[in-house]
Amino acid sequence: MAGDRLHRILTVVSTGGEPWSSTRLCRACPELVGVSGAGIMLMSGDVPRGSLAASDDVSHLIEDLQYTMGEGPCVDAYQQDRVVIEPDLADPAAPRWLAFTPRALRAGVRAIFGFPLRVGAVRLGALNMYRNAPGLLSDDQHADALVVAEVTARWVLEMQSGAPSRTLARELEIGADFHFSVHNAAGMVSVQEGISVTEALIRLRAFAFSQDRLLADVANGVIARRLRLG
Amino acid sequence: MTREADVVRSLVEMADTLVDDYDVVDLLTGLTNRCVTLLGASAAGVMLASPSGGLRLIASSSEAMRLLELFELQAQEGPCLDAFRTGEKVEHDNFEAGASRWPVFAATAIRSGFRSGLALPLRLRDAKLGALNLLSVAREPIPEADLVVARAFADLAALSIVQHRASVEAQRLNEQLSGALSSRVVIEQAKGVISERAEVNLADAFSRLRTFARQRNLRLTDVAQAAIDGTLDPRAWTTPGPGPSR
Repeated sequence: MAGDRLHRILTVVSTGGEPWSSTRLCRACPELVGVSGAGIMLMSGDVPRGSLAASDDVSHLIEDLQYTMGEGPCVDAYQQDRVVIEPDLADPAAPRWLAFTPRALRAGVRAIFGFPLRVGAVRLGALNMYRNAPGLLSDDQHADALVVAEVTARWVLEMQSGAPSRTLARELEIGADFHFSVHNAAGMVSVQEGISVTEALIRLRAFAFSQDRLLADVANGVIARRLRLG
Repeated sequence: MTREADVVRSLVEMADTLVDDYDVVDLLTGLTNRCVTLLGASAAGVMLASPSGGLRLIASSSEAMRLLELFELQAQEGPCLDAFRTGEKVEHDNFEAGASRWPVFAATAIRSGFRSGLALPLRLRDAKLGALNLLSVAREPIPEADLVVARAFADLAALSIVQHRASVEAQRLNEQLSGALSSRVVIEQAKGVISERAEVNLADAFSRLRTFARQRNLRLTDVAQAAIDGTLDPRAWTTPGPGPSR
């Protein structure tokens, strides 16, 4: 029953007595759902806005790759508003994401799942979970993951409900990575190249992609004036 | 199909509607229509409390003026108001019996051809939301079995209203969240623009942006947007603001 699942999930997330956080939610996912790690990606206007939390380095990389490439399980889960299941990324019959897949595989990801974060009709982003071995989630794990996604989505809104208008709730800003440095770099590149900021963002992405680097990495190079595009 | 099957199907249909995005007025109008087709009421309406506390009609089985007027009256007196205030069912009342609890309402109802009616409160736990009103051209009370169904309709209506309000609130919070994030992104981009134009680091760039906005009493986000769009004189950034920057 959904009520029992919810109870179990809240118990696991609350053990240890630390205050609730999105990171705790992610770190509870291996025990709750039997995955290797989890991350929360916030999205709006059809694009990733940033990573709210991740349970481990690989999950963090999964988020960064999706932010850099603009594709992956979270992007699909959010845009298509459905659960995305990829039980074996290495299966050549299923190369779903041309840029994301090889890089995720290299990081040790074998199975990956994206669960939309939604409250009613409101869509907030997606919860990603990965496994370092191929395989589907069991029905039970799948049902648990849906409840975790639901709890996460409500938690995000609950946090934001305390914030003054026009500002981001502190709880959401602390620990979250909204890639502000990428936007700093885009501002700089726009002046350097005499192009719009939007165009500068595209150039930064293209550069990161061609050099097989993460966007945040390229942005930091630009900010430190070690790197110039063009 | 039997009537019971009709009722069950109606309830399931309405419960299904609740799952996704839905129009609460549509749902409540459908519900009032079902009160007429399935429960033998001559007319039905749902009244909801407005934020100021007054009752307003939100859905009715017909748009006939005489019926709308009857509901409007109930902002002052009538079965809806009583059911809403007490949170209890207002029993079948024969308007012609004289010495009605609601003299103005009863007289108007009779003039409009209605002889009896009852009202069920719409409430969820402690929250009183409004009332469902059934009106009849007959004097006889509605059968007990129909009342049970009406009660289920009223509960479902209450649930739909509460869910709708929660969904509107979620929408508002999400817009606020992405709006706040967008403002922040614009500011970060402007910091990059200023940092490059003035050849200062990002912290200094932000301090110049802020000083510029404060001195002219402009919103930070607006100045940041202007910096990105290049609609401000780029030289604005090359002169440092007053005071040491951090």
